[in-house]
Amino acid sequence: MTPAGRRGCAALVGVAALFAIPRVTGNEYVLALGVSFATFSVLAGGLNLVYGYTGLLSFAQVGFFGIGGYTAALLVTEQGWSLWTGAAAGGLLATLVGLVIGYSSLRLSRHSFAIVSLSFALLCMIVARDWVSLTRGAMGIPGLPVPSLSLPGWQWRLGRPSDFYYLLLAFAVLAQALIYVIVTSRLGRAMRAIKLNEPLAESQGIDPLRYKLLAIALSALLAGIVGGFFVFYLTIVDPSIFDFYYTETMLIMVIIGGPGSFWGVLGSSAVLAALPDLLRFTTDLRMVLYGAVLIATMLVFPGGVGGWLERRRLRRWRRPRPATP
Amino acid sequence: MEPGFLLQLLLNGIVIGVIYALVAMGLSLIFGVLELVNFAHGEFYMLGAMLAHFLTMRLRLGYPATVAVVTVAAVALGYVLYEALLVRIQGGGFERSILLTLGLSMVLQNGAVYLFTTTPRMIETPLSYANIVAGDLRVAVTRVLALGLGVLAFAALYLILYRTRIGRAMRGVAQNRDAALMVGIDPRAVSRLAVAIGIGLSGLAGAALAPVYAVHPLMGGSFVFKAFAIIILGGLGNIAGAAIIAVALGIVESVVGGFLPLVMVDALVFSSMIAMLLLRPEGLFGRGVRV
Repeated sequence: MTPAGRRGCAALVGVAALFAIPRVTGNEYVLALGVSFATFSVLAGGLNLVYGYTGLLSFAQVGFFGIGGYTAALLVTEQGWSLWTGAAAGGLLATLVGLVIGYSSLRLSRHSFAIVSLSFALLCMIVARDWVSLTRGAMGIPGLPVPSLSLPGWQWRLGRPSDFYYLLLAFAVLAQALIYVIVTSRLGRAMRAIKLNEPLAESQGIDPLRYKLLAIALSALLAGIVGGFFVFYLTIVDPSIFDFYYTETMLIMVIIGGPGSFWGVLGSSAVLAALPDLLRFTTDLRMVLYGAVLIATMLVFPGGVGGWLERRRLRRWRRPRPATP
Repeated sequence: MEPGFLLQLLLNGIVIGVIYALVAMGLSLIFGVLELVNFAHGEFYMLGAMLAHFLTMRLRLGYPATVAVVTVAAVALGYVLYEALLVRIQGGGFERSILLTLGLSMVLQNGAVYLFTTTPRMIETPLSYANIVAGDLRVAVTRVLALGLGVLAFAALYLILYRTRIGRAMRGVAQNRDAALMVGIDPRAVSRLAVAIGIGLSGLAGAALAPVYAVHPLMGGSFVFKAFAIIILGGLGNIAGAAIIAVALGIVESVVGGFLPLVMVDALVFSSMIAMLLLRPEGLFGRGVRV
């Protein structure tokens, strides 16, 4: 079997195993870890697309996530929409906002994009907290209703923890598949070219702005939709959905996994989603630890685990082989 | 509306604007010289305020001594920060510097939360409730002190940048790094000093504002957000531009905040930042970033 085929089989087996977990154990704690992994893998995957592949450091992911959450929650509770259309609307709104931010700041430089994306995320938090007539302020919108999906001949009421586990896992699989298809296609190669050497990419007829905007829009869409699902899992949305904690966690996932490494980031999302509960620290100490890891990684290990594996692979590949007689 | 009220708002605005300026100028100086965005900048403001609280409330140090100690400590911290961390990643790319300082900010902020909790603390001195009254104007003495400190720091920074050799070297590096290297300026010494001054200004701002507002470990985060907007509006790396915008922002915030909910002001700051990037990417006062 080819290596690609082997990897595909392993991925299929892994996904099947994840879907089988609720049948083996009804342990809510395990399911909660699974939901956290699914959610963060989508957020980190989107960030990897923007930062790891296209080279744009973005702090806006958490803003898209929260915009999706608030949009879905408001449309469902106040306009009577279903979760599905609400989450889709959240994703679309996040995409639109992402395009506006990206278009306005990228004309200047990658630097200003990073700064503007950070300010955007902070502004989202302020609006959610202080624009009380729209977002109901610091109390948020509690008691989100149990959503259900009704297709002809089939009704699914998402009342149990395992239902949200299935929903978020299914969406994560879809999102990861989409990201994988993109990063292994011509689009992904163009994005990587822009990251490595933008003038050179431009001289080959690649329009950097279009690819950058594509990456931002896609990550915003995925983050917005997953935000919509996630708040219904929590049954509440409040300004803490914009907390910098989410940004820091997904950044750490991408940095440790290796920016631009699909499997590396997926793996580190799984490890770091489970880790908080292995390291039974308070959140503050955990963030101190994450910060220290970030500093250490930047000083000695800028490519992350993915980068290290890649370097090792290249070294082995380049190693002179003994001539065969 | 009475003119007295407006004047009062204006005065408050100038005070807060001058403090914004201290933080933003430091950020801009570091960016100009090192081409590095310091995400931990707000945390040094927070540390300055926390240290000021500790010195006045625990050690019963007088206010002038407190400000002096905090500023010296912040400058020293800047030296250490540069030599221990920043010097290793210089030239290693913009993103790397952001992520490194972001990690630093996470360590400092969450470490402070862990050690001191998020409970706001007040500095209470005999001066805390004293006011200077002129007509129907009432200004808290602590605010006047903050204003005075800010103006003093402005003057000191101006003298360093425009009247000393090392200041000229600093401006030289900020204007054209390669040319500065060619005429024999040591980039390491200049960068070190820029970081020390920048962090020192931030710590000083913290000490100056500590008696005016409550002190808590999360105060740096929201503050640095404004400082970023300020340096974009003023032109990245343009120190005078940052100072002007900062004072203007303080005034607008205070005056508008007297009539409108504060969320409008924050939204206004952000939208004007986006509009500025669309219309005049080099900022109001020129210099801007090029990759």
